[in-house]
Amino acid sequence: MLKKIEDWNYYELLSVERTASQDEIWEGYQAALSTYKDGSLALYGLVSEAERGLILERLQEAFQTLRDPAKRKEYDLALLRHAPYFPPQAAFRKSVGKLEIEEAPARKSFWARLKRRFVKNP
Amino acid sequence: MDKRIWAIGGGKGGTGKSFVAANLGLHLASLDREVVLIDADLGAPNLHTLLGIKPSHPDLGDFLTGAVPSLEDAAVETSFRNLRLVKGTENILFVANIAHFRKLRLLRQIRQLPTPNVILDLGTGSSFNTLDFFLSANPGLVVTTPDPTAVENTYLFLKSCIMRVLKLYMDHYKIRDLHQKMLDQIEKNSQSLYSFFKSLMETDRSYGTILYRALRGFRPCLVMNKSRGENDVLLGRSMADVARKYLLIDMKYLGAIPYDKDVQESLRALRPYYPQHRDSPAARAIRQMSEELAYSIEFTLRTPPEIRLPDA
Repeated sequence: MLKKIEDWNYYELLSVERTASQDEIWEGYQAALSTYKDGSLALYGLVSEAERGLILERLQEAFQTLRDPAKRKEYDLALLRHAPYFPPQAAFRKSVGKLEIEEAPARKSFWARLKRRFVKNP
Repeated sequence: MDKRIWAIGGGKGGTGKSFVAANLGLHLASLDREVVLIDADLGAPNLHTLLGIKPSHPDLGDFLTGAVPSLEDAAVETSFRNLRLVKGTENILFVANIAHFRKLRLLRQIRQLPTPNVILDLGTGSSFNTLDFFLSANPGLVVTTPDPTAVENTYLFLKSCIMRVLKLYMDHYKIRDLHQKMLDQIEKNSQSLYSFFKSLMETDRSYGTILYRALRGFRPCLVMNKSRGENDVLLGRSMADVARKYLLIDMKYLGAIPYDKDVQESLRALRPYYPQHRDSPAARAIRQMSEELAYSIEFTLRTPPEIRLPDA
C-alpha cells in the first residue's frame, strides 16, 4: 500500500503487527528510537533533519497510545473503521491455534439440533 | 533443489563484496553443492586472489571475445571440491565497457549454466552493467559497512536499482515519456519516490499500479559487514527499515558479519579465509546467512519477477 510517512499508522511506524504484544511494542519502539535518534547513521544521505524530528514526535505519540490498553483499543477501532485489517497469513500453518479451538463453542450435531427443536424438555 | 543465482553487490568499494562472494561459495561447496563463482566485477576483478588462485586463462574476457564458446568452458576447476571459478579478465578496458549484446549473451549463459548455485561478484558503483547483473539474480545481496560513506552509497545503489527497474518496465510497456518525469522527480529528496508514485496514480492509475508492483518485486537483502558491536548490527536493521519506508522496497536484513583481523591476514597469505577459520564468528555469520537464503521457504516466495532487458 502506497503511503506517505505522515499516513503511516502507529503499528507501521513501530514496524510491528497489529496483534503485537506489549513487549513487542516496546522492542519496536526502542528499535525505532535508535533508527531516528539524533545523528543516526541509518538516515545518512536519505532523511532530512526536519523529517527526523517529525517522525520522532509521531513515535512518542504512537508509543504513548499503544502502551495504554484503553487508548490502544480506541485507536484500533478507529483504524478498523478506516480500513479492514487482514492479519498476515503464514506461508505454511506452523501450529494449530489450540487456544482458539478450546474457546470456540462446541458445535452441536444435527441430531442434537433436531431434538432441541422438536422435544420440549430434553 | 532449484537453481539459485546469487549476486553480491553494493554501492561502495572495499565493503567486502568479494569476501562475501568467495566465502559464500566456499561454504556452499563444502556442503557438496556445486558452485560456480563468476567474477563479474568488470572494472577491478580480484576474486581469484581471495581464493588464492593466480590469474590465468580461460577467463571471462575469453568468453566475451569468443575465444571460448561458452561460459561453462570459461569456468575452471579450483582446488576446492565442487567449486569452479570464472576469473575476471586482465583486459579491463575492453570488458568494463562491454557492448549491450555481449552483456545479454553473458546474462543468458549465466541463466543456462547447469550448476545449481551461481554466485556473481559484482563491481562497485551503479553502472547499467552492474545493475542489470544484480537485478537478474535471486537472491541479491547488498553488502555495506557501518561507515557514513558506505551507508550513503548503499542508498544510492538501491535508488539506482529502483530507477533501473522502473525504466525497464517503462520501456517494456512503452511509457517512455514517464522516464524523464521520473528522473526529474526522484533525485530531490527522501519523499520523492512517494511523490512520483502519488502523482502517477492520480494521472494514470493502471501504469502506476504496474510500476508499483514492479518496485515491490525488487527484494534485495542487506548484509552489514565488518561490524564491531551491537550498534552496528542494529544499524543494519535500521537501514532495512528506512529503505522499506522511504524507498518503498521490501528489503530483508540478513544480519551482520563481525570484523575479523584474520581476514586481512588470510588475504596477505593468499589463502582463502573460510576453510582456515570455520569456527570464527565471521564464518558462522556467513553460514547462517547462506542457510537462511538457501532453505528459507519465505525466501522461495520472494522470487522477483524476471526482468527482460530490451534489445538495444
